[in-house]
Amino acid sequence: MKHIVKIMTLLVAISAFWMSLLQTSLIPRSYTWLLPLYFIVSLGCYGLLMVGVGLMQFPTCPQEAVLLQQDIKEAKVFLEQKGIDVSSD
Amino acid sequence: MELADRAVGFLLSLISVSIFTYYSFWVIILPFVNSDHFIHKYFLPQEYAILIPVFAGVTLLCFLSVFIGLVILKSKKKKA
Repeated sequence: MKHIVKIMTLLVAISAFWMSLLQTSLIPRSYTWLLPLYFIVSLGCYGLLMVGVGLMQFPTCPQEAVLLQQDIKEAKVFLEQKGIDVSSD
Repeated sequence: MELADRAVGFLLSLISVSIFTYYSFWVIILPFVNSDHFIHKYFLPQEYAILIPVFAGVTLLCFLSVFIGLVILKSKKKKA
């Protein structure tokens, strides 16, 4: 419940700021109309950038992968001895 | 394997940075440039700067709602 209240207050603050910008013509009018759309597009771009950067810096652990494969083999051998069928088809 | 991941990540960030710079140029800087400058050839008319994001947003919303509707229908069919 509290999280949605935070988001709502943030949205109300941003729209109040935008409307005050419309009233007092600090920026030329055509810019003020386009400002929310520009922010939405830049937010989407920022999300895409974070995904790309995270993909580039994702850490792979090669030794852990080898150890995991060994564990899988041991588990398969153990279960087959006990009579459970673990073949992948 | 991680080279493919790195390439995809790099491509994604490149696309996002290029879209951001192109759009910023379009909306912020281009109205200040003279009408007969050569740079106007590389940018579409200014109405498209509004139409294309709105159209993309509406398409995304339609796609999401259709997808959710399909999932709900499929789950209802499986239960009945």
